Amino acid sequence: MSDALTQLLIYKNLGTVLFDEQLQIVEADKRAQELFVSIGQRVHKGQLLDFFPELIGSEEYIKQIVRQKENDFRLDFVNRAIDDERAAFFNLLVLPAQKKNHGLLVLENVTDQAVAEQESNQQRYELFLYKRDPEFRKQFLSESILGKSEAIERIRETIQKLSKFPSATVLLMGETGSGKNLAARVLHYSSMSADAPIVEINCAALPEHLIESELFGYEKGAFTHAVTSKRGLLEEARGGTLFLDEIGEMSANMQAKLLNALETKQFRRLGSTKPIETDLRIIAATNRHLQNEVDAKRFREDLYYRLNVVSITMPPLRELGTDIMIISEYLLKLFNVEFKKNVKGFTEEARQLILGYAWPGNVRELSNCLERAMIFADHERLDAAELVISGKQAQQGKQSAQQWVVPPGGIVLEEVERQLILSALEQSGNNKSKAARLLGLTRDTLRYRLDKYQLS
Amino acid sequence: MASVKKKICLIGSFAVGKTSLIQRYVYDRFDEKYLTTIGVKISQKALPPITDSNDGQMIQHTFLIWDIAGLEKFDSVVANYFRGAAGALIVADLTRQETIEHLSPLYDRFASASPDAAVIVLGNKLDIFKEDKQTLAALKAKAADFKSELMFTSAMTGEGVEQAFLKLSQKIGCRSE
Repeated sequence: MSDALTQLLIYKNLGTVLFDEQLQIVEADKRAQELFVSIGQRVHKGQLLDFFPELIGSEEYIKQIVRQKENDFRLDFVNRAIDDERAAFFNLLVLPAQKKNHGLLVLENVTDQAVAEQESNQQRYELFLYKRDPEFRKQFLSESILGKSEAIERIRETIQKLSKFPSATVLLMGETGSGKNLAARVLHYSSMSADAPIVEINCAALPEHLIESELFGYEKGAFTHAVTSKRGLLEEARGGTLFLDEIGEMSANMQAKLLNALETKQFRRLGSTKPIETDLRIIAATNRHLQNEVDAKRFREDLYYRLNVVSITMPPLRELGTDIMIISEYLLKLFNVEFKKNVKGFTEEARQLILGYAWPGNVRELSNCLERAMIFADHERLDAAELVISGKQAQQGKQSAQQWVVPPGGIVLEEVERQLILSALEQSGNNKSKAARLLGLTRDTLRYRLDKYQLS
Repeated sequence: MASVKKKICLIGSFAVGKTSLIQRYVYDRFDEKYLTTIGVKISQKALPPITDSNDGQMIQHTFLIWDIAGLEKFDSVVANYFRGAAGALIVADLTRQETIEHLSPLYDRFASASPDAAVIVLGNKLDIFKEDKQTLAALKAKAADFKSELMFTSAMTGEGVEQAFLKLSQKIGCRSE
C-alpha cells in the first residue's frame, strides 16, 4: 500500500483487512481491530466470510476483484448488534490489493451517520402514519402528554374515551401552565380527522366587542370599520373544535350570547339577520374554580352546566412526583436542539431542587427556568446553581424542606441560620415579632438566637 | 455433516413488516413499535438437516436472512445487497395498496442481480387486512408477473410466517418437498 493511501486511511480512520485469493485473512490492521473491539468482536486470521457473512453469496465476484477483473464491491450501513439495545454500522468496501492475488477490505464506522439517518427516516415514517392512521394519531398524541403518574394516566384514559365522542363539550380546569392547551389539542386531534380545524380564542386577551365580532363574524357595514364581511370563529371551526381559553374571564354579556349559540346550535353574524348553523365541538378552559365563580354570580350557572358536560382537571406539576423529571428531560432535549447544545441531564443537586420546588407556574415556569439555564449552560449536566428559581416561592413562606439543597462545597449551618435571622429582621423592618413569624419561631426563641449570634 | 449457508433477501417498501417477519421467524417475537431499518442487517436461522439425495450425506443448511431497508433509489450498492441470493421474500403490506405497486421495480432489480433465485410474494399484515378484491387481484397479478407463489402472513400473530420460509427453503432445495 502506498504511503499516501496509508495516510489517507489513517486520516479517515478507516480499517483494512488484507485477504488472499482463498478469502483467508492475512492481516487486519490496528484500526480494523479497534473497530471490531468496539462491538465486542475480534478479527484474526481465518476465513473472511466467517467474520463478514455479509459477503456470502458474493464470493465469486470478490475473487474477480482479487484477480483485478472487477473494480470494487461495496456494502453500506451493514448493521452489527453490540447488545440488545445498541448496534454499530459499517461501510464495507472490497478493493484489489497492491499485493498480487490479494484483496483489501476497507472498513468504515458510520454509526453516527446511520443513527442520524435512522432518526430522520423514523420521523418521516411517523409523519406518514400520523396523517394516514387515526389509531396511530391517538397513540402518538396521547404520548405527548408526558408522565407515568397515576394522575397523568387518568388524563390519558379520559382523553382516549372522549376521543370516541367528537361532539362532546369538554371543560378543562387547572392552574395556569398545567397543560390545558396541550390537552385541548390532543383531544381535538385524537377525535377528528387530521385536517379538521381547531380554532382558539383567548377570552382574557380581547375586549368584549372584539370577542363578539371574532366569535360571530360580521357583515360589511355592520359597524364603522366593517368594510368587508368576515367569517367568525364559530364558522371557521365548522367540522372541528372551537377552543375557548380562559372562559372564566368572559363578560356576563358575552356569556349570554355564547350560551344562546350553544343551545340553539345557531348564531348570526353581526349586522345580519340570517342564522348560521353551528357544527363543532366546544372545548373550554379556565384556571378559575368555575363553581365558585357561579356561586359568586360572576359566571352564569346555565353556561357552566352547558360547558361542564365532561370536565378534566389538569394536575399541577407539584402533584406529579417524578413525572417532573420526565418533563424536564424532555424540555432539555428541546432546548439542546434549539440552542445547539449537548447537555446530557441534571446533577443530583439540580434534580433534588427541581423535585423539591413547588412550581407555582407549573410547566410554563419549569420551561422558562430550564430555557434560562440552557442559554448559559456550558457543562455536560445542568447544576442546581444554574437553575434560577423565581423568588416568588420564598415569599409564599411554605417552602418544603426538600427545596433546601446543600451545595457541593458544604455550608456552615450556624452561619446560614445567622443570615436567615438577619434577612427576616430586614424584611420585618427590625420588628422582632414579625421576624419571628417569618422564621416560624416564637418571639422568645428568636430572642435566644439573637443573643447567641450577638445580633441583639 | 456438511454445512451450507444460503442468502435470503427480504425486500419491499418501508414499513411493510420485513423486520417483523424476520423477528417472528428467527426469534418468535413481535414488537409493536416500528423502527425504520437502515442499510442491512443479517440474521441467521439453522434449518433441520436433510439428506443429500445424490450421496446420502447429511447437510445442515443455514439461512442468512438479509433484512434490507425499504429502498427508494437503486444504485450499484443496492445491487450488491441482492447479489448471490438463493431466494427472496418480496413483501407487500395488504393495508397499503401502493406497496403492491412498488413491488415490480424491486423485483426487477433483484432478478437482475440474482436471476436464479427463488421468489415468493408475501401479503403481510393479514391480521388487520379488511379483505378487498382489488388488493387481492393486484397482488395475484404481481405474483403471476414474477412467476412466483403468493402467500399471506401476519408477523404479529405469526400466521403463515413459518410456512412462507418453509416454502422458500423447499424451492431452493434446503428441504424435501
